[in-house]
Amino acid sequence: MTTLSVNHVARIEGHGDITVDVDEGVIKRITMDIVEPARIFESMVVGRTFDEAPLITSRICGICSANHAVTSILATENAFGIEVSERTKKLRELLVYGSYLQNHGTHLYILAAPDYVGLPSVFPLAETAPEIVKRALALKRLGNELCTLVGGRAVHPTTAVIGGFTSEPTRTELLSFGKRLEEAVRDAAATVELFGSFDIPRYETKSDMLSLVASDNYAIVEGEIHSLTHKWNRPVSDYRALMQEEVVSHSNSKHVMVDGKPFMTGAIARVNNSWDQLLPSARVVASKVGMRPVMKNPFYNNICQAIELVDAAERCAMLCYELADSNGSASPVEFKPRKAVGYGATEAPRGTLYHTLEYDRNGIVTAGDVITPTAQNLASLEADMRAFAPSILSLEHDEFILKIEQLVRAYDPCLSCAVH
Amino acid sequence: MRPNVVFLSLASDFGCQVQITNFPELLEMLGTFDLSYWQLATSAHMPSEYDIAVIEGACTTQEHVELLEKVRARAQVVIIVGACACTGGIPSLALNGDLEEGLHLVYGEAAEKVAWGHIPPRPIDAVIDVDFKVLGCPVNPDEFSSILQRALLGLVDNVHRETMCSSCKINENSCFYAQGKVCLGLVTAAGCESFCINRGRACTGCRGIAADANMKAAREFAAKYALEQEFLNGLEIYNSHAKGLVHDDSFC
Repeated sequence: MTTLSVNHVARIEGHGDITVDVDEGVIKRITMDIVEPARIFESMVVGRTFDEAPLITSRICGICSANHAVTSILATENAFGIEVSERTKKLRELLVYGSYLQNHGTHLYILAAPDYVGLPSVFPLAETAPEIVKRALALKRLGNELCTLVGGRAVHPTTAVIGGFTSEPTRTELLSFGKRLEEAVRDAAATVELFGSFDIPRYETKSDMLSLVASDNYAIVEGEIHSLTHKWNRPVSDYRALMQEEVVSHSNSKHVMVDGKPFMTGAIARVNNSWDQLLPSARVVASKVGMRPVMKNPFYNNICQAIELVDAAERCAMLCYELADSNGSASPVEFKPRKAVGYGATEAPRGTLYHTLEYDRNGIVTAGDVITPTAQNLASLEADMRAFAPSILSLEHDEFILKIEQLVRAYDPCLSCAVH
Repeated sequence: MRPNVVFLSLASDFGCQVQITNFPELLEMLGTFDLSYWQLATSAHMPSEYDIAVIEGACTTQEHVELLEKVRARAQVVIIVGACACTGGIPSLALNGDLEEGLHLVYGEAAEKVAWGHIPPRPIDAVIDVDFKVLGCPVNPDEFSSILQRALLGLVDNVHRETMCSSCKINENSCFYAQGKVCLGLVTAAGCESFCINRGRACTGCRGIAADANMKAAREFAAKYALEQEFLNGLEIYNSHAKGLVHDDSFC
């Protein structure tokens, strides 16, 4: 028996290893080992107050901190029965989209692209193809600046609180941002073309794909859970009954199943499930590189992220113009804590993020639950590694490992989220 | 020879690294040193020789302790970045409950199997000597860059000793206590120009307790507004590791 292992998979967020056991040309075991130490957030929120909960849970992840903050806020508002203004809802959407531009921009160009051009990192690419790196940094910066505009800074928003925002962007800022976002649509479309031009391994997953959907919007903040395979919709409050979390021996991250089966969440699930809600420009660019539902190749997750960049840039430009030209306030609304349980969900760049917070009558957390996108994706990732590996087993050792790593990176895992 | 820099990460959310990559000028600074290891950005392996180690995250496992000791023995300069590394930060919140119980709550019966080697979370300077601290959750990229430059130029750390209230006064912010809200700026280390408070949010204490903080006076001030308990509870978020200090009246 030969064991091939990758100690510390690079260019992903967090610490993870891959183990492959091969016996006489047959793969016996292949696992994604999440060795990132657990920080036990679900126990840390217990005993904390309602306003501390989003502050704490947003520290689960530095990349999608806006999502954790907003999801925690939504769970609390759901528990206390708080209705927020339309302006608050729109600003939250902008905040979450800021993390899309930032995450997808970084992931696609800095973490994933080197795989497709056969390089160990983005640094040599900066010398050979400076215009590509420039485009990546511009998209990432735009995302950061959008998060900063709405949330106060790019990592860990400080203005988003229960009931609204402690400060808001000005009309001038919104108008100038709208223009920059509109201009970014071109860079985003070029990203779709670039990833569409890469030689992508042929493989189809058997996993279902789950994401939030809404009848009138590309669901990012709130919505219902939709299954691509089974076509059902379920309310967010059903997620704990729907999903089974299990501890596996090789990983500090739990695995999550629905009816005992793995599923994918993330850009590919959203683009498949909400295809009709994409802006026409995004659909046209997608179709040009041959992307249309149903897409079952997990490597396409990267192209779907690029498609979302097009949609997000244009959508955010429209949101900025709408906010600039409408009145209303996003100041936090008044509320009273009550003994209740609340559920929240948003679409993080990597997939659906669920939070539950249970409160006593003084607004002190008595229990918390978080299910992150990466935890949902891990069972599917391992199933795909097992199914994909035999087709590349004839490759040289380094090439084989590189292809497996490429599959891992296509899933865009976030390991600190996964263990939280 | 250009200094060789490695970037390591312990228990954290990677937010400080993300924040640093948000600083495009850092890439230009690459000319002044060799970034020889940065797991987030490249698949190259950790080298055996390096001059400066930049470390993010809290020390939460026995493996972390061993790694830190190894790094300290090799690096001329150790820079720790972010609240997790500097004060134990959010990971240290787990210290407020029973750690075993917390692990059990999250992992159930399987806790022993998955959470091997766990030790009570602690800041890095509780394990090894450090040369520079970049405070905050997350760090401010400008502050990181200026401290990295100080390290490259052989200067010593210039820590802020004063509390956030001094920045607030310069920025002409009004005080949250008058609105009946707790603000931890009373004892938190200055240096972020009262970032959150300028944006309408009270200080949550992410930069840790200032060297010149007067804990006794701060508690009395909070008590005047009937917020002493809330003040102490709030301090736990980023300063659980210093809990003894917070509750000890002699800490002033």
